[in-house]
Amino acid sequence: MTPLDQLLALSALTVVAVWLIGNRQVTGWNATILYAAQGVLLMMMSDLGYGEVQSIASSLTFKVLGHGLHWRFDGLSWFFALITIGAAFLASWFASGEWGQRYRAAGGSLRLFHVALALNVFSMLVLLASGDLLSLFIGWELVSWASFLIMALGSATATRYAMRYVTYAFAGAMAVLMALVMVYTRSGSFEFQDFRDAVPAMSSGSLWMIVILFVAGFGVKMALIPFHLWQAKAYAETPGPGAAFLGAISSRMGLFALVVVLVQLVGVERLADLQLVFPFFSARDLLSWLAVLTLIFATFTALRQHDARRLLAWHGIGQGGYMLLGVLIADDLGSAGGLMHVFNHATYQAVLFMTVTAVIHRTGTSDLNKLGGLVTRMPLSFVAMLIGIIGLAGLPPMNGFVSKWLLYRALIIDGSPLLFLGSVVGTLGTILSVYKLIHNTFLGQLRLEHVEVEEAPSSMIWPMMILSTIVFVTGYFPGLVLDWVASAQAAVGLPVLAHNLGGVPSHKGGLDMIWVVSVLLAGFGIGALVFFSGGRSKRVHQLDNYAGGHFLTAETRYQYSDNFYPGLMHLIGPWYRKSFRWLERGFVSTVDTLSQAMQGFYRVVHPSFYLLVAVVSALTWVVAR
Amino acid sequence: MSPGELIIELFLMPLVAFVVGLGMVLMYRRIGARIQRRVGPPFFQPIYDIIKLYGKHTQISHGLIHEIGIIMAVGGYVAAETLLPVPGMSGLADKGGVVTLAYVMMIPSLGLALGVGQCANPNGSIGISRALTAMLAYDIPFILVIFGAAYVYGTTNLADIIAIQQQQGPGGWGIVQMPLLALAALLSLQGIMGKQPFEIYIAPAEIATGPMVEMSGKFMGGLFVMQCFQLYTVGVLYTTLFLGGGEYWLTFLPKIFSVVAIPMMIAFVFPRYRTEDVIRLLWKWPVLIALTGLAVVLR
Amino acid sequence: MSNELENIPIRQELEVLQSGQKRTNPLANVFDGLVKFCRSRSMFMLHYCTGCGAIELPPAMTSRFDMERLGIQPMVTPRQADILLITGYVSIKTLKRIILTYEQMGSPKYVIGICSCTVNGGMYWQSYATAKVLRDYLPVDVYIAGCMPRPEAVISGLRELMEDISSGRAESWKKYYQHYDYYLGNQQKLFGEDWQTPTDIIAEARHYDLMTEHTLGEHTALLEKHQKPLEALEMRLSVKDKQKV
Repeated sequence: MTPLDQLLALSALTVVAVWLIGNRQVTGWNATILYAAQGVLLMMMSDLGYGEVQSIASSLTFKVLGHGLHWRFDGLSWFFALITIGAAFLASWFASGEWGQRYRAAGGSLRLFHVALALNVFSMLVLLASGDLLSLFIGWELVSWASFLIMALGSATATRYAMRYVTYAFAGAMAVLMALVMVYTRSGSFEFQDFRDAVPAMSSGSLWMIVILFVAGFGVKMALIPFHLWQAKAYAETPGPGAAFLGAISSRMGLFALVVVLVQLVGVERLADLQLVFPFFSARDLLSWLAVLTLIFATFTALRQHDARRLLAWHGIGQGGYMLLGVLIADDLGSAGGLMHVFNHATYQAVLFMTVTAVIHRTGTSDLNKLGGLVTRMPLSFVAMLIGIIGLAGLPPMNGFVSKWLLYRALIIDGSPLLFLGSVVGTLGTILSVYKLIHNTFLGQLRLEHVEVEEAPSSMIWPMMILSTIVFVTGYFPGLVLDWVASAQAAVGLPVLAHNLGGVPSHKGGLDMIWVVSVLLAGFGIGALVFFSGGRSKRVHQLDNYAGGHFLTAETRYQYSDNFYPGLMHLIGPWYRKSFRWLERGFVSTVDTLSQAMQGFYRVVHPSFYLLVAVVSALTWVVAR
Repeated sequence: MSPGELIIELFLMPLVAFVVGLGMVLMYRRIGARIQRRVGPPFFQPIYDIIKLYGKHTQISHGLIHEIGIIMAVGGYVAAETLLPVPGMSGLADKGGVVTLAYVMMIPSLGLALGVGQCANPNGSIGISRALTAMLAYDIPFILVIFGAAYVYGTTNLADIIAIQQQQGPGGWGIVQMPLLALAALLSLQGIMGKQPFEIYIAPAEIATGPMVEMSGKFMGGLFVMQCFQLYTVGVLYTTLFLGGGEYWLTFLPKIFSVVAIPMMIAFVFPRYRTEDVIRLLWKWPVLIALTGLAVVLR
Repeated sequence: MSNELENIPIRQELEVLQSGQKRTNPLANVFDGLVKFCRSRSMFMLHYCTGCGAIELPPAMTSRFDMERLGIQPMVTPRQADILLITGYVSIKTLKRIILTYEQMGSPKYVIGICSCTVNGGMYWQSYATAKVLRDYLPVDVYIAGCMPRPEAVISGLRELMEDISSGRAESWKKYYQHYDYYLGNQQKLFGEDWQTPTDIIAEARHYDLMTEHTLGEHTALLEKHQKPLEALEMRLSVKDKQKV
């Protein structure tokens, strides 16, 4: 058995084991241990991550209708698998303690939850290991259904949006299937190599078709515009640790598949040759703009949310735009930025979802208008969220800055001011919305009903602390992650980023985070010296506050959280209403109709028959033309 | 450069920045006074203010984060100064570059925002919400300018940017090479410095100086120190990108003082715009000018 | 213009380093002197303008008399201010706000009563709703009498205060802590016995070592009976695992 076999086998075993243990408190701890074991197995393949081995194959192969299916891991798969297993490990740890007790007491089934989580991990590993287009498709379907399973565990809203997702996923799967058929008719096999060889000979019409179909299929998972409407609400309502896991990695599977297809197989140069409007706008530009629009649209939608989980979920969609944009720039800096952002995003998104879940665990709400002042009661959660939001906003010294820096640098070299502007607008919008998140949760006035709130239990604090340490350390020493990113770049044939432990050396303006962070910390030290050279301070009560001479009482809240950016919203609010809402309403009504129909045959009629009809008609259409 | 020299530079650069910044604060108040036909404060007034604030006998703190916020506000700028080359000292210019600097400059604002948040004063929170909105407004033209400069010079290393301009003499300065970008940058400086007409987030009469409402004693003193750094940073960054930096302090100082003086003179003859008008104005004219400038340099 | 200003009489020249209690370390003395000098040359004032006297302040601040050259600047919140400028009559309702504002200022803080009304009630002497003698409720450093005092008088008063600060005579803010019981008693007489401000003066006095035997007394005992708690929300750093569901 190769190490990959062992890993996949253990992952499958985890699903079975969790199922057998059932709805008990120990389920979570067992799952956590099994994820740790998967992590160990993955570490045994760490040669992949450091580019010492090109790929490790699985001994499992199939033959279907004369086409071989095989699975293997390369640098890219290893990088994504690392994030997947890490996220699952910490999410499951988070879920094992008090959270699990509360969940079970409230009528949730820990068996279902952990099985869904384990199934997600397994299916993602299968997808990541795919060695040809057919196994990619199988992995893709597995991932789609597994993530539906975990989303459907949540509230009625989540189920509704999960249904919407299923609709999209069906359509997406059709699109991928059609693309596969087209590839097959052109290259005669499902092997990656044959597809790559066939690309130069393809007409731009058919290549356009293939690219669009693949992007439509895989973009659903990434919630790329215009397939973005399902994700935020479905993820937000998923049970807390599940949301942390999904937010960290689930939608990145779409990115993985797109990287494999667009970068590894079609090649970004070929995309740039596909002109839409000669000579200005190629397929690559189209996709880049889709990425940037996803970023801006999702970020500014997040800005309007007043539920912490939805806010984060929308950011998850937006940050996907950075990753796709980076990969599409396709030089050493940009693609490294995009791929590194997958890792960075997973770390801080998971920690943010966890802190929000911890707050919900203690206060019972994630409504940003009903929280505030929790920093004195949950200081560790505050620190975790602070590190998380600095990462999400992409400011030094956290890791989010490094990946964004790489992206900006690449865009400057590339000479694309508008894409650069778009990504900076995304960052600025993120800063605004994450400040609202931390201000309305942890800062400001503590409400009377939250005076007795306590810090989150240790089963929650530990994963949060581990993740926030990772966010900081990989920002301090980005070389740790860039090593893996470099071998992932090599695996898909992108130019490899020359890097060192501190960042990127370059005579045209590099980055050395060790120096930047050190000098920042030293600056804080000097700031502290200057500060503490002043007189002694005394802490005062939160109601001892200047209110224009008004006497404040605990009964009347003296706080400002609702409609946090009125000036901005006064200006750009109508834009949402006019353009975005119009767009959204169109999509929503289409998708709602579809999803109702889908629910109909999902539940009542013979689903396989309809599926067959749909597939056959799609295939006929593709083959016939 | 030997490590010893580097360490001396790293200490000296923030110190110089602080001293020059004090001069800029004085200039700011003197300009205001002269425009209003007053005499203005004495020469050492900025120092008196800072010493007095630090020497207050009672200091009111709203909690640890309030204190950490001020530390971050000062510390972030101390760090930013070392990324900003000045005559004779280039510090860590090659380790970060202009993009990093632009982001390090956001750390003090974030620190201040955190500190103000803990005060639980709505005037403070309103001020921060307006300040962040203003940041969204002025950073868009500013970031376009940074993009243009980095693209034209072909590097993000500020020391190299200075060297490139100095090789070609005044004809090679950024302001000659890309006048439109320089103009757009000047307009966004007004926002970055938070001066009228873009100082709605301070608005003393309406929201009681917004973010500063609960700042007393050394907290306020920290913000005064931060203001010195801020004026200096803005002046030096502009001079570096567009005015050829400085070979000698004698030529460098007049440049940075005059850069900072322009927004100040504009400030004292203007009332203030509402937040949405700030955004509208900054997203319209400076962005248009910057985009035109970019179109010229990108060709 | 400058001639006019020089004609304004002041009591003495600035006397730096003439403080009441000298420290033994000469360097510390120099340092104290520097801080005092800076305090006197940088005064941020909060004007609580309740009456007609306020109209004399704008000329004192703007181009005619230009207070800023003495380092005096208007500020808008008590947190930032050093001087509380109370102009004109003080009604009982207003006095509550004045006390609240005064207590929120950071020490050393100085109170200037402008106009006759703050001295003895002035033309409102017979009013039932006016607090006549401001000094009973807050320690006042300088009174500037007149109805209304001209800007020259205001500046003269401010220069007197400057001089008092630099020579160490303007220490009345300590009196508020040291004789809190007395001030609180007068306040309670006016506002009723459940009178309470959000600032915990006794805790502050304790924190900054300003307690004397006159800080506490019968009035503070009365206050403690009615007081709503004012302790700051301290950070709680304890991770507990409750096993209850």
